[in-house]
Amino acid sequence: MRRVAVTGIGLVSPLGHNAKDVFDAARSGRSAIHRLHIAGAHRLAAPLAATVQFDGTEHFEPPQFRLLDRVSQFAVVAARRALADAGCDLSAAEREHAGVFVGTGMAGTMSIDEGYQTLYGENSDRIKPMMILKGMHNAPAAWIGIENGWRGPNLTYSTACSSSSVAIGEAWLRLASGAMDIAIAGGAEAPLSLGSLKAWEAMHTLASEDAADPARSCKPFSRSRSGMVLGEGAAFVVLESWDRALARGASIQGELVGYGLTTDAGHIARPSVDGQAAAMSAALAAARIAADEVDAINAHGTGTQANDVAETAAIKRVFGARAGRLPISATKALHGHLLGAAGALEFVLSVLALRNDVALPTMHLDVADPDCDLDYVADVARVGAAGRTMLSNSFAFGGTNAVLALRAVD
Amino acid sequence: MTSTSFDDTEKRIRALLAKDFKLDPGTLTSDARLDELGVDSIGMAELIFNVEDEFGLKLPDVAVQMSTFGEVVHFIDQAVARQRTATAPNSMAHGAQVGT
Repeated sequence: MRRVAVTGIGLVSPLGHNAKDVFDAARSGRSAIHRLHIAGAHRLAAPLAATVQFDGTEHFEPPQFRLLDRVSQFAVVAARRALADAGCDLSAAEREHAGVFVGTGMAGTMSIDEGYQTLYGENSDRIKPMMILKGMHNAPAAWIGIENGWRGPNLTYSTACSSSSVAIGEAWLRLASGAMDIAIAGGAEAPLSLGSLKAWEAMHTLASEDAADPARSCKPFSRSRSGMVLGEGAAFVVLESWDRALARGASIQGELVGYGLTTDAGHIARPSVDGQAAAMSAALAAARIAADEVDAINAHGTGTQANDVAETAAIKRVFGARAGRLPISATKALHGHLLGAAGALEFVLSVLALRNDVALPTMHLDVADPDCDLDYVADVARVGAAGRTMLSNSFAFGGTNAVLALRAVD
Repeated sequence: MTSTSFDDTEKRIRALLAKDFKLDPGTLTSDARLDELGVDSIGMAELIFNVEDEFGLKLPDVAVQMSTFGEVVHFIDQAVARQRTATAPNSMAHGAQVGT
């Protein structure tokens, strides 16, 4: 297996638009969650979200803009930023094999929501002609490929909340095996349509609003947690074979060393301790590292009752007595749950945590839960605690568990 | 029959194309091929949708077969005239509208 380097990071996120801003916000515990102001927000029980400051017209000319759902706008802009950060200029021959790997859970749901409005809401027989092209799941990946002329694999993974960790992991498999030399991988999500929010609300998975401060509404691992808060955005990384990165003098920001992928094959929505633990173990096996070499974990940590208890139990199963000494960060308290883009954003935060050797805080952990009794780095970042090797966990409705293992660069 | 009504139709379609496809209005001559200006078949479907909104029309699918700016304007102008005829309460009113 070949080593795989992370050489570029691109972000369009509720915490900011570049690595420094996003890391600083996460490190200082600055929440991007707020009351949501969209048409119909008053019909939501708790109108909360983590939104991105973003105007697509600043990034795209009208002829292209009209074809892009917000999710594709996020994806293309984040990919641009990752490629610029990587500073790589591919030859025509290299572009023939360069790959695009994208995770998204709900893809162009805003365009679909808007498109059906005329049909059902206005009783019209007309639907906007671009709805299919804007709404389809592979649109974000396709646009990244089109913009850059990358003609290798162009793949979209939709495994709900683990989508972008799967995308990054599947890219890693091809790079590590030698099947390809360079890829851009990550995820994008723009789920904040009224229809989508109402559907998530109907699942009873969304957080209620914190009475004192809406920004504190997502409380992973706290006994006072009431659910997740949806977020939007995109995160991408450029992944290259180690030798390629070295040869061109790239700035290597981290090393992706392993990927574990398992399926619960149990309940469609209830998390499985077995499945989550197996995914962490599989990532360790793929990385050829022992459990005691892991220094910290970025948890899936959604803030739902079910996830946080199951994930705690799964970490204990994999790490045994060491579990209590591992710093575990749940950054969704700050950037919300980006669904299909969550894993990519948290992988990036993990790369940055290792680069800075800072374990990021789990904010709003107000009340200890006897069923969540590990070290979640409550409320304050811990300098010197991220160590050298981390896992980034992503679990999902549907039961697809994806775990990425990464290592700091010497 | 052309004149004001036709000129108004042409002006509004030119404005739609200029806005949605960022086209220079000066390139939209009567014989300009829209596909050569970047309005492909998908773009034509969207143009037709927006034209329907702009003029309050329902156009037949045949509309997407048009290729030049002049053909589009001519087709839409005829559709506008047909709609006026269909919605006019009597021929006198129709005549009055055409004359405006």
